[in-house]
Amino acid sequence: MMRLSTLLWALLVGASGYAMFQVKYEVLQLEDQLTRLTRQIGAGQEQIRVFGAEWSFLNQPARLEQLAKRHLALGPIGTQQIGRIEQLPRRSPMPPAAVAAAAPSSASSHLTAAPRLAHAEGVAAP
Amino acid sequence: MQALETSHTRLIIAAALFCLAFLAIGARLVEVAGFKAGETRLARLRAVEKPEAARADILDRNGVLLATTLDMPSLYANPKLIRDPERVAQKLASLLPDVGESEIAAKLASDKSFVWIKRPLTPSQEFAVNRLGVPGLQFEAEGHRVYPKGSLAAHVVGYVDRDGKGLAGIERGFDEILRDRHEPVELSLDVRVQYILRDEIARQIAEFNAAGGMGIVMDVNTGEILAMASLPDFDPNAPGGARDDAIFNRATLGIYEMGSTFKIFNTAMALETRTATLASSYDATKPIQIDRFTIHDDHPQRRWLTVPEIFEYSSNIGSARMALEAGTERQKDFLGRLGLLKAPGFELSEIGAPLVPSPWRQINTMTVAFGHGISVSPLQMATAVSAVVNGGVLHHASLIKRPAGYAPSGQQVLSARTSEEMRRLLRLVVERGTGKLANAPGYLVGGKTGTAEKVAAGRYEKHGLLSSFIGVFPITEPRFLVMVSIDEPQGNKESHGFATGGWAAAPAVGRVVQRMAPLVGIQPVDEESPEIRRSLMVDSLSPQGRTIAAN
Repeated sequence: MMRLSTLLWALLVGASGYAMFQVKYEVLQLEDQLTRLTRQIGAGQEQIRVFGAEWSFLNQPARLEQLAKRHLALGPIGTQQIGRIEQLPRRSPMPPAAVAAAAPSSASSHLTAAPRLAHAEGVAAP
Repeated sequence: MQALETSHTRLIIAAALFCLAFLAIGARLVEVAGFKAGETRLARLRAVEKPEAARADILDRNGVLLATTLDMPSLYANPKLIRDPERVAQKLASLLPDVGESEIAAKLASDKSFVWIKRPLTPSQEFAVNRLGVPGLQFEAEGHRVYPKGSLAAHVVGYVDRDGKGLAGIERGFDEILRDRHEPVELSLDVRVQYILRDEIARQIAEFNAAGGMGIVMDVNTGEILAMASLPDFDPNAPGGARDDAIFNRATLGIYEMGSTFKIFNTAMALETRTATLASSYDATKPIQIDRFTIHDDHPQRRWLTVPEIFEYSSNIGSARMALEAGTERQKDFLGRLGLLKAPGFELSEIGAPLVPSPWRQINTMTVAFGHGISVSPLQMATAVSAVVNGGVLHHASLIKRPAGYAPSGQQVLSARTSEEMRRLLRLVVERGTGKLANAPGYLVGGKTGTAEKVAAGRYEKHGLLSSFIGVFPITEPRFLVMVSIDEPQGNKESHGFATGGWAAAPAVGRVVQRMAPLVGIQPVDEESPEIRRSLMVDSLSPQGRTIAAN
């Protein structure tokens, strides 16, 4: 009887000792990992700052203007390019067959109208 | 027996305590090892060792980066560890072209144990210096202030010294906030509008071969500054190389006799104090002689002029007579209310205090009427004109973005009625008067030209001009003020030799309006539509009688 309980206790002590070391090494490992991650986060944040600065640098208006002049056929928006929704002509009522036939063309005209409206409305008021 | 029993009990108590303790430890072990409880919380606790937070960023109103702090390597040396300073200096000088060899050699030969060689290095320079493998050369990552937009808003953003202390602009005005608070500071500037303004001023300076120029774009209803430029300017990334003339902020620190743009205030004063109405007329048949001065007109009409005509033709004689009729006290009081007689409170420390006549004699009253004998900063002009056109409310100028839903609070300094009349007069100048070139079709620009002869050595110089235009749009319901001044413009062939405000500054304002209006969401209107014509009608255009009757 006495022997059995001693054995049990010895086992328990052994198990808890093992678990203790196990946990300790796990903690050490996690701490290492944590330090590494913190450093990585720091480096990542610094990288983001660098990229942010570079983005802002590359987006200098003077440079964008140069690039736009060289590569795009776009210019400043003239007053005649800006309209209001009310200025659009009302769509004329059409018979169903004609609607089906005209669907692609009306879709395309919708597409051309959309950016124009975007110019008028999509600009953020300060 | 008694003793044995006592010790037995004690033993049991002690054993029970130990058991409890072991159980607690065991439970905790199982919890930690088995369930990973609280891991995230522990990690958070440990993660506080963040890098030292850097000086806060400066952004424009749309979040565009104007100033940030980046870690960059700086090179320092421990001269005690360097055996052959001459040779090392020679090598370093070949890698770092902007530091002199002799300068490095002198530093390396000193008997200190720490000298900066260069702050900061580019990554490729760091690599090259590292490859030299010279002992005694060390790097240290230092936060370094970077201005990605270069000179674009140099005078507003400012710059810092090598140790990151703000020396000018917002960097100086907000030095402590930038250092302590780690949220970015959001300015009211809009980089796009800033570029447009700077670009157009630069174009006028080039066309008129001028010494410099400045401009302001202001939201008339809040006092927020969307753009502020002063040319020539400098690159805040390397402020050391800039000339004093370029560092100087003409828009806030410079004070100038603004010339005829002051007639905006003179006319508003006369209308507000009811010493004149739009139908009043004044004798402008011949120049006024007073003391040793002669007040004459640049566009002489040689007849009696109504108040709108005085404004439209920018008559000095008429303006002086209007001011005389109102009197010195009313004039002083009115200009004071508009904040023109003392230095304004502002976020920048580069603020010029106005130069006002003292004593304020009758002759001063007459010259102040057309903007001479009083010097104010362009910032004060923009603030005061905003108040005149926005319904009469004076808002302090600000470079800081107002939060969404901000209800501007200001001081009512003149009546809404006077403001409304002034808007009509300002439109008249652009439609028919001296400011035609500021017109931007569809955007209803109103404004006033001003051409001041600059004072040099106590005398007015005929050819040192400050030519300005202050425009407001859309004049029916003003949103923005655009002011441009060109310093010492020279007339050219296209301008028929003129270098006045109407020629040198007005075109820039017109173009700025045209380019910025779509960006800030202003719809063009049909200027000929009956509602607009009616709202801008000015009656009593000639002394002979009212030309426009309600039809």
